[in-house]
Amino acid sequence: MSSTGFLGGAKDRLLPVSVPFRFFLGAVLFHLAAWAVLFGAADWLAGHVGGPGPILAAIHLATLGVFAMTAIGASYQLLPVATRRPLARDWPTKVSFWLLAPGICILTWGMYAAEIAAMQTGAVLVCAGLVVFAVLTADNLRRAGSVALVASHGWGALAALIAFAVPGLLLVWDFGAGFLDDHSGLAAVHMVLAAYGFMGLLALGFSLVLVPMFALSRSLPQRPGQTQLVLAGLALTGFGLGWLTGIPALTWAALVAGAGAIGAYLWLMRTAMARRMRKRLGLSFVLIRASWALLAFSLILGAAVVTGLPIPNAPALFGFVLLAGWLLTFLTGILQRIMPFLASMHAAGASGLPASPSSLTAEMPLKIHAFCHFGALAVCSAGIVLDQTLLVRLGAGLGVLGALAFAGFALNVLWQLKAIRAGA
Amino acid sequence: MTFSRRTAQLLHEDHQATIQVIEALDDLIAKSRKKAPDTSDPAVNKVLQSASTAIEEEISEHFAFEEDELFTRLEEMGDVGIGEHLRAEHAALLPLGKTVADGARDALANGFTDQSWATFRDAAGELIERMFSHIQKEEMALLPALDDLLDAETDMELSGAYEAAHM
Repeated sequence: MSSTGFLGGAKDRLLPVSVPFRFFLGAVLFHLAAWAVLFGAADWLAGHVGGPGPILAAIHLATLGVFAMTAIGASYQLLPVATRRPLARDWPTKVSFWLLAPGICILTWGMYAAEIAAMQTGAVLVCAGLVVFAVLTADNLRRAGSVALVASHGWGALAALIAFAVPGLLLVWDFGAGFLDDHSGLAAVHMVLAAYGFMGLLALGFSLVLVPMFALSRSLPQRPGQTQLVLAGLALTGFGLGWLTGIPALTWAALVAGAGAIGAYLWLMRTAMARRMRKRLGLSFVLIRASWALLAFSLILGAAVVTGLPIPNAPALFGFVLLAGWLLTFLTGILQRIMPFLASMHAAGASGLPASPSSLTAEMPLKIHAFCHFGALAVCSAGIVLDQTLLVRLGAGLGVLGALAFAGFALNVLWQLKAIRAGA
Repeated sequence: MTFSRRTAQLLHEDHQATIQVIEALDDLIAKSRKKAPDTSDPAVNKVLQSASTAIEEEISEHFAFEEDELFTRLEEMGDVGIGEHLRAEHAALLPLGKTVADGARDALANGFTDQSWATFRDAAGELIERMFSHIQKEEMALLPALDDLLDAETDMELSGAYEAAHM
């Protein structure tokens, strides 16, 4: 197959492989960095309630570095396929990467070292990169025809992006100027809107397409999908308004709506699994299924934090389960599936025949990653609850090993792709 | 999945039929592993019967229809890459489908030896993986696109011709 065919014209829905993969590779490296920083700062995690330092850096290496990079890379390639509308142009995707990647490095360095100027510079670069992504995505969604449900989740995610990015900038500037009355309250809103809002709505929306596709399941009913979106929107709005007005009932209503949204989502995913034609789904779906349970668990912990239940270090545990538990588990499960899948669409050997996804996949690094990742979740969680630095460090060490194994898997995909194309 | 175009629905039904056959093959390989299965076992016999006929017939007609009637239309719209990739996958799948069908026919007539089972298992394993991946791509990127690609009249014409050819 000719590479020019794939590079195609502006009407082509299949982008050059470099577009999604630069984001995926970035995510893989930030994944390693996030666990490594946590390993070094293990004694700070259990009691973390906000403020600059290594833990805030590790959180943003995960949220922006891993989650946002993965979501943006996947969105650039998958949205045009799902919406049946090509991106208007390819080059802004590269601009967004070259704003985001250095921006994340500078921002998280600033957070690590409590350097205000670095934090501000990094935050501006990151926001600029997110704006480019938002404009490209909004243009694609605007032209989307009959995939209203996926597009609606996309619009919701873009709204959440604005809603978390603006407070994010305020929080960074507040570190220097101290003008906010309730810095930690706004930080909580920022995290909830980023994790459950931006990432959550993208995860919920793409799940409606990707899970049935990989499981070869019949189409999912529309109404529960609409229900999950409406309830998620109500939950996020209620949580934000609850903080703004100080009315506890709004926060409670948000938790109830959030539970409803998660319930609808889990029902849809269970339906997809029950109707699937592909029986053996492999290791990636072990991670994806575990992430669904961790999503529900994160909300239970969130409710425990709101009610002040006597769980030791509950805020840190909630943040860890939400970010490392749900989102990191879900995204590494998805990444290990879509990286070989997308690479195989760009890999044709000397025979001209496309490579199979398994020829681009190394199973052993993925097994090591899964073992280390689940170990890291369990051991770090125990370390947080028991306030044991040694356990947190041990867990983070497992996370580093898992991230190294995952990087091995990702580099192998690229290596195999390069080798196949070189032989063509 | 459900599709608003009849042509997409027919192709989807083909996919379902093919998946049933290759899932059964996948089960057979998973259960037997390196030990050649007994072809006189009714369950094994049934899997080989369907593999000997269904795969080759299904994919050759199905692929030809997509290449002649659908990819050309995608390409005319400027959406070149996906059609080009799916066409290349067809070129990889057709000989594999033939090898598996021939192997199944031979096994039904003569049983498996350790050597012929290993050859069959390797070819079927590759076919299964490539076919699942191929169907996933078509279900996500091709069939939904037929809503835009075909108007109602063309859809009726193509689906009628395809159904007639399948009878």
